[in-house]
Amino acid sequence: MSTINNEKTTVDPGTKTPAPRHAVRGGGRRRWLGLLLAVVALLVLASVPLWLSPYPVTMLSRILAFALLVVSVDLLTGYTGLPTLGQVAYFGAGAYAAGLTGIYLTTNAFVQMVVGTLVAAALALVTGIVAVRTKGFVFLMVTLAITELAHKQAEAMALTGGSNGLSGIPGISILPGGEPIALVGYLYWWVLFVFALGVALSVILVRSPMGRSMRGIRDGEERMRAIGRRTFMVKLVAFTFAGSLAGMAGTAWTAQARFVSPGDMAFALAAIALLSVVFGGAGTIWGPIVAAAIVILIRDEIGAIADGRGGMILGFVFVLAVFLLPRGIAGLSRRRAAAVGPTPIAGEGDEL
Amino acid sequence: MSFLSASFLRKAAVVPALVGAMMLTACGGGSLGGGSGGSGGTSGSVKIGLSVPKSGTYAALGKDMEQGFKLYLTQNDNKLGGKTVQLVETDEGNGPQTGIPATERLVTQDQVSAVVGLVNSATASGLANTFNQNKVPLIVANAGSDKLVDTPSDYIWRTSFTNGGVNAPMGAKVKEEIGSGSVYLLGSDYAAGKEQVGGFKKAFTAAGGKVAGEEYTPPFGATTDWQPYLNNVRNSGAKAVYVFYAGSEAVGFVKQFKQFLGGTGIKLYGSGFLTEGSVLDAQGDAANGVQTSLHYSDQLDNPKNKEFVKAYSDAYKTSPTVYSVQAYDAANVLAEALKKADGTTGEAIGAAIGKVGQIDSPRGTWSFNAQHDPDQKYYLREVRVVDGKRVNAVVEELKAG
Amino acid sequence: MDWFVANSVTMVNGIALGAVLFIVAIGLSLVFGTMDVLNLAHGSIALIGAYVGVAVLGGGASSALSFAAVLVAALVGLLAGVLLAVLTTSVRDHLRQAMLTLGVAMIVGDLLLMVFGGDVKTVPPPPALAGSVPFLGAPYPVYRLVLIGVGLVVGIGLWLLLEKTTIGAVVRATVNDRGMVEAIGVRTRLVLAGVFGGGAALAAVGGLIASPLMGAQPGNDNLMLVYALVIVVIGGLGSLKGAAVGALLVGEVQTVGVALLSGYASFLMFAVMAAILLIKPAGLLPSKHGHGGGH
Repeated sequence: MSTINNEKTTVDPGTKTPAPRHAVRGGGRRRWLGLLLAVVALLVLASVPLWLSPYPVTMLSRILAFALLVVSVDLLTGYTGLPTLGQVAYFGAGAYAAGLTGIYLTTNAFVQMVVGTLVAAALALVTGIVAVRTKGFVFLMVTLAITELAHKQAEAMALTGGSNGLSGIPGISILPGGEPIALVGYLYWWVLFVFALGVALSVILVRSPMGRSMRGIRDGEERMRAIGRRTFMVKLVAFTFAGSLAGMAGTAWTAQARFVSPGDMAFALAAIALLSVVFGGAGTIWGPIVAAAIVILIRDEIGAIADGRGGMILGFVFVLAVFLLPRGIAGLSRRRAAAVGPTPIAGEGDEL
Repeated sequence: MSFLSASFLRKAAVVPALVGAMMLTACGGGSLGGGSGGSGGTSGSVKIGLSVPKSGTYAALGKDMEQGFKLYLTQNDNKLGGKTVQLVETDEGNGPQTGIPATERLVTQDQVSAVVGLVNSATASGLANTFNQNKVPLIVANAGSDKLVDTPSDYIWRTSFTNGGVNAPMGAKVKEEIGSGSVYLLGSDYAAGKEQVGGFKKAFTAAGGKVAGEEYTPPFGATTDWQPYLNNVRNSGAKAVYVFYAGSEAVGFVKQFKQFLGGTGIKLYGSGFLTEGSVLDAQGDAANGVQTSLHYSDQLDNPKNKEFVKAYSDAYKTSPTVYSVQAYDAANVLAEALKKADGTTGEAIGAAIGKVGQIDSPRGTWSFNAQHDPDQKYYLREVRVVDGKRVNAVVEELKAG
Repeated sequence: MDWFVANSVTMVNGIALGAVLFIVAIGLSLVFGTMDVLNLAHGSIALIGAYVGVAVLGGGASSALSFAAVLVAALVGLLAGVLLAVLTTSVRDHLRQAMLTLGVAMIVGDLLLMVFGGDVKTVPPPPALAGSVPFLGAPYPVYRLVLIGVGLVVGIGLWLLLEKTTIGAVVRATVNDRGMVEAIGVRTRLVLAGVFGGGAALAAVGGLIASPLMGAQPGNDNLMLVYALVIVVIGGLGSLKGAAVGALLVGEVQTVGVALLSGYASFLMFAVMAAILLIKPAGLLPSKHGHGGGH
């Protein structure tokens, strides 16, 4: 009986025996299947601008940028057991940094991405030193404070356009000195590239020894400490990496929207990003990505035509998901896989 | 092995399923070509988008705008400039995060020929590229940031106001009223609050007025207690207070002003939004005597307004607000433009809006200026009880700020 | 001394705001402390209370109607709380609780908008309390002084209830060892539903009595939720005294604090919260029982 603690956020106590968080370590064939699947998904996504009209392609660009933000929330919430509302602060920092780079420095997309990511990383490192000393509910509230303070700073600063937002951002260009891209299909490909890069880095991270340490902290920080691990450093690295990833997502957001406003680092966005992780299945990569897509589709597509009832519909989906998908969307495939037998840590083959 | 592949198949199905869901909304044809521009609907008709908040904090404003726009359509047999209107509506929501996708949908998916609406300035600024690129005109019917876009184009117009513009005419007026006394400035701490109060301050100091103090309070409902600020006002010896507040803050402020400074002789002036619409009912007695500047009041004494107020009240059982008029005028602008336009494409309508000239409006005639904002009259209004009803009585027309 | 006199009215305002926020926040804290449920629909219940005021008192207040409004708000809050208790019984994971209760909050927010519209509504205080009294040389609204009294009464009443009565003993025992309490024949689910219902009833009444100051309009639910979360985490989860201290602190920060540092007014509350959590992560007055007591 304590604040949101590591076990509770991740293990579903609804089942009597502690169920494994992940499916079995799948063996070679399973891993190859996963890779094959990722490649197929990427090819399908890459082909989209060839046959879809501008509106759905813009929507997909938004989804991919938001989904990368959601993955960054998941790295902390799902993999490290640190529930966060703070990632939008770094997302916004990356977005503003990319936009300002575009206005004052260069339209080159790579430069904008690197600058945005580094700014977010620096911010995450500094704030992380403070934040990761806490955990559970207190961590959640500290990260909420980070978001609120960043949000208010963006609203107050003239450099970022205050509450009117940062507009007048030129289109990105890919080659040095190249023409700015205006067409949504090409913009989408850039966003897809950033998304794929970010997800690939995340998958590499969670499969590395570092990823194992993160899950170790989630499943029992005291145990980790007892065997001599420096959990503070692990958490700080995870926090900084997740912040950088959120910043990277922010640069992709700016590339497609060419506009940033304080709302891009607000509580409302932080809340749906966190809920997307829970909805998708915390501690998997592909589940939250799918959830992110569903959430954005409901908010932007159904919300636009539902006479203002978008919020209510999203609310119903969340409530239903609690009861119908006890392990999130990812649980749909894990339920059967889990029957093979419990393994305490990590089913790497399970991630997209 | 079969169960493994089954679980993978399910996962594999996700991406195509999502993409498929998007296909249902797509027209096909790819997205690597140039901007299309509103296709304009079938012959004799025109597709128009209406994007106002239907949910969230600004839902009340959105409703006024929707009613104003629809009143014009009802009065004109659902036609604008002789073309039957196919209206596509969307929910702008609370801010750019929902407003931009929803409005983009009208342009790139529904392929409307023009869009009317937008309460939020950030949403409007964020959409400028979309409208310019797709060659579809946007008629902003509320958002008031002083500079919506860097350079005006055929595709961005505004029938509402600029934040500074609403308050500038009050500068000379307040100076004249209080003479050598000073004024204390208060406002909501966000861009609109600073632009609104700033518009007054610039004109007031230019007229030789003295500012006793200037404070901005946490915005968006976060300030519920003005007593500390009102305390500072009292201690400053100011003769008057000039404020910008809207919504719940307008209600809270006016009530507390009466509570803490009522009877001290300190006068309350402000931007017209302080006492416009439903907030006036909520303020009750406390609002009596408050003087504000705005480009409209339902009390305006001109034939066009009398007819408008009657039609609006009959249709919706409530009085129109400045928000209703801004959207009503947007419909009027579109009607005039469609009469002059060569076809119903966004490009044709955008070009024609530049030629509409004077708009005969319930607020008095106005026309677009070089910035594509309205060149209009502003009125000094005072809250009074007329025939048992609390209204913004029109005192006089203000001289240009 | 001059400073004190100049700001004393502001300080009293802060106490009045703190009193209202305490009544709203205490339910969130007790439910988390005793039931281990993070109820993010708590702000929505406060907004429901405010709209009860609009419905009952919208046509003009009288003493009888004001009293009726308090009863209706308490009853509606109680029902909402019990309903949430039932919904959350099988959901033990905090993140899924957050998804459930935030989903409920989104639904309730839209329903209230549909029923009451988006206009700002105000609720009049009871006519007997609507006036002002002279206070340090200036008129001061009676209603705010009454709020301070109500906050005190609720605080002391809850303390007596939890610390000095059998019901309180059962609640505390349920937190510590549910199985043992059930073994002696107490139905713990009833106790827990009672805590949830009682906390929600207080939130609804808090929202109602705050409405003459804050009005009722869409968005106030989130505002109240954030206030309550900040208060609860500053004070210490599940702690009655902590919530009182947290509420007073937030009340003062939002009045005296913003008056002294008006340029930083928007940042102040979260900056103070972050600072406190860094020094005392468990809050200023963590609860003796329940939290920190381990599993």
